[in-house]
Amino acid sequence: MTQSLAGDQRTYAELLQATTRLLRPYLSRRLNSATEVDDVMQEILISVHKARHTYDGKRPYKPWVFAIAKFRLHDHLRAHYADQLHHADDLAEIEEFLPDHVTESALSYESISAEVEKLPEKQATILRMMHQDGYTAKEVAEKIGMNESAVKVAAHRAYKILRQKLEE
Amino acid sequence: MADINKLIGELAQEVITVKPAPHPFILSTKWMAGAAAYLALALLISGTRADLMAKFQEPLFALEVAALLGLFVATSISAALLSYPDMHQMRHVAYTPFATLALLVLVMLLAWRADVPPVPSPIHGFQCTIELTLLSLLPIAWMFYAMRKFASTHLRWAGSIALLFAFSIGALWLRLAEQTDSTMHLIQWHYLPVIAFGIAGLWLGKTLLKW
Repeated sequence: MTQSLAGDQRTYAELLQATTRLLRPYLSRRLNSATEVDDVMQEILISVHKARHTYDGKRPYKPWVFAIAKFRLHDHLRAHYADQLHHADDLAEIEEFLPDHVTESALSYESISAEVEKLPEKQATILRMMHQDGYTAKEVAEKIGMNESAVKVAAHRAYKILRQKLEE
Repeated sequence: MADINKLIGELAQEVITVKPAPHPFILSTKWMAGAAAYLALALLISGTRADLMAKFQEPLFALEVAALLGLFVATSISAALLSYPDMHQMRHVAYTPFATLALLVLVMLLAWRADVPPVPSPIHGFQCTIELTLLSLLPIAWMFYAMRKFASTHLRWAGSIALLFAFSIGALWLRLAEQTDSTMHLIQWHYLPVIAFGIAGLWLGKTLLKW
């Protein structure tokens, strides 16, 4: 890093490569997909670049780089969960009126089951389990190995498609 | 992975000689020197309280000013450390403002117990908080401007400490300039607002110190 601060491009590239190798296992343990790991890794590398003047080469490098990595990872996770919460809020609104709508109107799950079958396989399975078999989103998530939020989001998308089709 | 290699290539091409940031102790010394000059100027304009020298003979007053000075020094050092992603690997030092704040609370408790019969509160009240805030505005702006040049990874904490530093200057000025000895007045209109602004700094730090 000291040589990098002096403007040595090759050493700096090597340092960033080594940083990537150092951080990859740390991120992989905390994130679900390789794409997410790569995204966060890129943010960390840019942050390391921006903050390189705060490292003087006189103290260990690892605690410095891990402080940045942890900061960016938490940023990413906060944004990720805030996004999921936003979807969950939307669903809560829909879920409030959806059962009434189904029971009060002439529509029932059976009457729209043909449309459900036309949905992508995952969405159709989720709707079948939730509305035909009576499972909650949490139970569906456990049964098909997804997380609860992902199940809700998939259901939300399916409801949207169905609503559009039924309104046509 | 190809994207990462490409990014590394781009970052390496951008690299130029960079002057490392100063040691946090040097940084905090500079901040304290600037703040002390500002405080001296403020006292020069407003004037000190008439009985200042006599008041320093009273142990509780001297202790209170010492606690405020302690808060001033500790918050300056802590803010400097918090400007670095890894707190310059001196995390324990960054906690010192809590000790000085606890000392100030203790001194004020002792002063409150000793305030028998209570010294009457001055007619003004909120005016003190306004003056304290106005005097602290410039140091607040200056601190955030200075800290944004670094890379804090504890935005809320850094924001709170920056505000405590700025308000410690205001609190010191008010204590040395205002002829007031009512403990209740000091707690209500001087020190509680300082703590409240310190809490507000948690939000300000998150907003202004993003990088």
